[in-house]
Amino acid sequence: MLQDERARLMTTQKHQQQYIQRAVFERKGATSYIGHLDLMRVFERAIRRAELPILYTQGYNPRPIMVFALPLGVGVNTEGDYVDVAMSVPINSEEFVEKVNYMLPAGVKILKAISLPEQKDSLMSLVTAADYRINAKSIGDVAPDILKFDSIMTTKKSKGKEISVDIRNLIYDVRRINEDEITLKVAAGSSNNLRPDVFLRAVCEKMCYSVENSSNSDICRTALYKGEYPKIELIM
Amino acid sequence: MNKVNISHKDLMSVESPGRYVGGEPNQCIKEYVINQLEQNGTCKEVRTAFCFPDIYEIGMSNLAMQILYNVINSEEYNYCERAFTPWHDMIKLMREKNIPLFTLETGSPLSDFDIVAFTLGYEMCYTNVLLMMDLGNIPLKSTDRKENDPVVICGGPVAYNIEPMCDFFDAVLMGEGEEMILEVTQAVKRYKDSGKRNRHELLLELSKISGVYIPSFYKAEFEDNYSGKEYFVDAVRIVKNEDGTVSEYPVEFSKIAPRQTGLIKTEASAPDIITKRIISDLDNALYPENPIVPNMGIVHDRAYLEVFRGCIRGCRFCQAGFIYRPVREKSAETLCRQGIAIEHNTGYDELGILSLSSSDYTGLKELTDGLLDAFEGRHSSLSLPSLRIDNFALDLMEKVSSTRKTGLTFAPEAGTQRLRDVINKGITEEDIMSSLKLAFSGGWGTVKLYFMLGLPTETMEDVEGIADLAKKIEKLYFDTVHELGIKARKPEITVSTSMYIPKPFTPFQWERQNCKEEFLKKQAFLKSRLKSKNIKYSWHDVESSLWEVVLARGDRRLNQVLLEGYKAGLVFDAWDDSFNFAKWTEILLKNGLSWETYAREYSTDEVLPWQHINVGVRKDFLISEKNKAYSETVTPNCREKCSACGANCFKVGECYASR
Ligand code: SF4
Ligand code: SF4
Repeated sequence: MLQDERARLMTTQKHQQQYIQRAVFERKGATSYIGHLDLMRVFERAIRRAELPILYTQGYNPRPIMVFALPLGVGVNTEGDYVDVAMSVPINSEEFVEKVNYMLPAGVKILKAISLPEQKDSLMSLVTAADYRINAKSIGDVAPDILKFDSIMTTKKSKGKEISVDIRNLIYDVRRINEDEITLKVAAGSSNNLRPDVFLRAVCEKMCYSVENSSNSDICRTALYKGEYPKIELIM
Repeated sequence: MNKVNISHKDLMSVESPGRYVGGEPNQCIKEYVINQLEQNGTCKEVRTAFCFPDIYEIGMSNLAMQILYNVINSEEYNYCERAFTPWHDMIKLMREKNIPLFTLETGSPLSDFDIVAFTLGYEMCYTNVLLMMDLGNIPLKSTDRKENDPVVICGGPVAYNIEPMCDFFDAVLMGEGEEMILEVTQAVKRYKDSGKRNRHELLLELSKISGVYIPSFYKAEFEDNYSGKEYFVDAVRIVKNEDGTVSEYPVEFSKIAPRQTGLIKTEASAPDIITKRIISDLDNALYPENPIVPNMGIVHDRAYLEVFRGCIRGCRFCQAGFIYRPVREKSAETLCRQGIAIEHNTGYDELGILSLSSSDYTGLKELTDGLLDAFEGRHSSLSLPSLRIDNFALDLMEKVSSTRKTGLTFAPEAGTQRLRDVINKGITEEDIMSSLKLAFSGGWGTVKLYFMLGLPTETMEDVEGIADLAKKIEKLYFDTVHELGIKARKPEITVSTSMYIPKPFTPFQWERQNCKEEFLKKQAFLKSRLKSKNIKYSWHDVESSLWEVVLARGDRRLNQVLLEGYKAGLVFDAWDDSFNFAKWTEILLKNGLSWETYAREYSTDEVLPWQHINVGVRKDFLISEKNKAYSETVTPNCREKCSACGANCFKVGECYASR
């Protein structure tokens, strides 16, 4: 068969029925030090090892159909991130959780999963806000006061150029838990997103917080939300 | 237990921190050993730190490491862990904070292990070995190690000439590690159990294991009086310029150092000749069916299935072709079973079929049919490098490339039939053209061609032959598509040249290497001849090949050179941006040595630094092959006709197959 014919055949195949498992997972420890693409592969291989009927895209380079709610930065832990995994046949969520957890490397664990019908909107597009917990020396007494500014200008890289942006309206809430711990609620998702490291940089710049302490911080994403702020609710 | 803890902050300050944390599926955690260590700081088991002298992403792509890790850990009395070379940023951090190099499994410093084992796959990793020992707080020289220091061993294809690095190893394993590593760990276990504290005695024990070489039991001797002149047959190197004129580069005889005259035993019981060990029955050898699956992306991110060892072909430049003799195959049945198990156990969607020349595997059809059948509907594919292109291969590639389409590769190595006969590359222009015609008719249009510059007897006509061949292939593409009425796309033809490096244990081990000027001229010449927009020319760095010949054919005098280079900060030589040839040359000269000393032509009756190692292939066979090269005569491959090279001394494999 000629390559061109084969290509045509593969791309014209019909639509495949999807059965989604939506899972909420945590990650900590060694697996926190890998990038987002790596984490996707970790899930992919665990599901393959678990022999679950994961669905693949069609075409020349089939990939498992798997969507993460929001990329996780290197070194950032999570207690509540989401992934949608498409199956070719309906499967039981408990079975999914048990089998995949058995195969995931230490540190990554699915907490719960639910079965969903095929999704119109991708999981990624649902995300609007995120909670983080940040542990860093003496941050509790400094960071919350950043809310009193009307504008917080900081630079970000866009298409290779440094541009100046105001991140104030992306910060919804900052709370002191104790001297060395805060929680943070920020805009998240594909349209507006504030990364915790960018927030910390702003705290250093605006509040004269020590860069040394900020680079020594532990960051954990604790929740992801959908809906328009302030009417947000947990994704699952 | 001493446990190295790298803080979160430190991990976040280095590139790709995933390299330093372990925790991958299938890594080996032996709780019963860890418990003892936590309670007493010691354990009964033999602890081995298996070290790969390059970064994690490269080391984890290495099959030898996965095989030996599995073999060692299969024994309850052993616990083998992994360590890799940290990247520059991490090295700096470890030095600043006094953090010793540690293993990924338990975070133990290298100095806590009974055995520290290095696998040496290429010469350019040598200073990384020193770096790892140094970071691990292990005295670099074998003679400086004390009773409590680990036994430092090595093996791997370049270990067959370990002389340039021999001061740094207590013992060297000649041959296939899985055949002998357990004998070494058993000897260390007995030593550990005995409670003795006598390194010399342990080394004596190790030297009794067949295939183990203890460098400190020998001393190399060199000439006192010499005049380099008589060793160099080509007094003047003649290089043809593009415009037809000729340039001459006189050899600086004064730079050539004395030759080695012998290797004297200093320990009476040490063997005179160390003969490599090989696995006789690959079918029943342990193969990692549960390899470690890295969490982060690595260089070759797939599972591997090794189908046979050795190569029937005997291309005269190819070290692998001689040192791995004789060919030993695994049965398609075993391989199918293992391939299916590996695909299940790892979750990888790609299984690489590994060998020196996969088309020569007699069970290839059975194996690939079996695996493709088993992978049906699982979105797993095979990758088959080193396939010779014929109808069967194209058909197979169609099947496996339904998921991934890569180009076709050919390694004619030389541009003219004359030179291909010299190097015994049994591939003709008709072979290439007829395979490509098939491929082009099937819709392929991407071809990669690999050649070497500086092969023995090469002339500018041979170099021109490379360009001619590429152009003929370009023409063949358009002729074929016109003939068939297929729509012509832009073919992509890549010509890639590397620099020939004469290697030990080959018929060309005595040949001279081209000098830098010759190589550059040849590259420039090819560049000027390959101007078509359909042909891309890519070439390798010349200087690293010049350094590689020094290490490959080096002798014991290089230990000092490597040590000084390491101390001057020369590490990661295999990485273009770290490699510093000028600095190496300076250190060589300071030690009375030079590139010329090792790149010169050797005479067949002089002492070679590696001649006490027996890989099976006899010297008289290599000499006859060298002579046949000069008379442009080819030698049939092992399967066509046995040429009695000597490797039949192992009494296995192809040598005993019925022809
Ligand atoms: S075919 Fe030739 S070059 Fe390739 S491995 Fe065999 S001997 Fe070496
Ligand atoms: S003895 Fe014969 S068959 Fe065996 S490796 Fe040598 S040439 Fe090949």
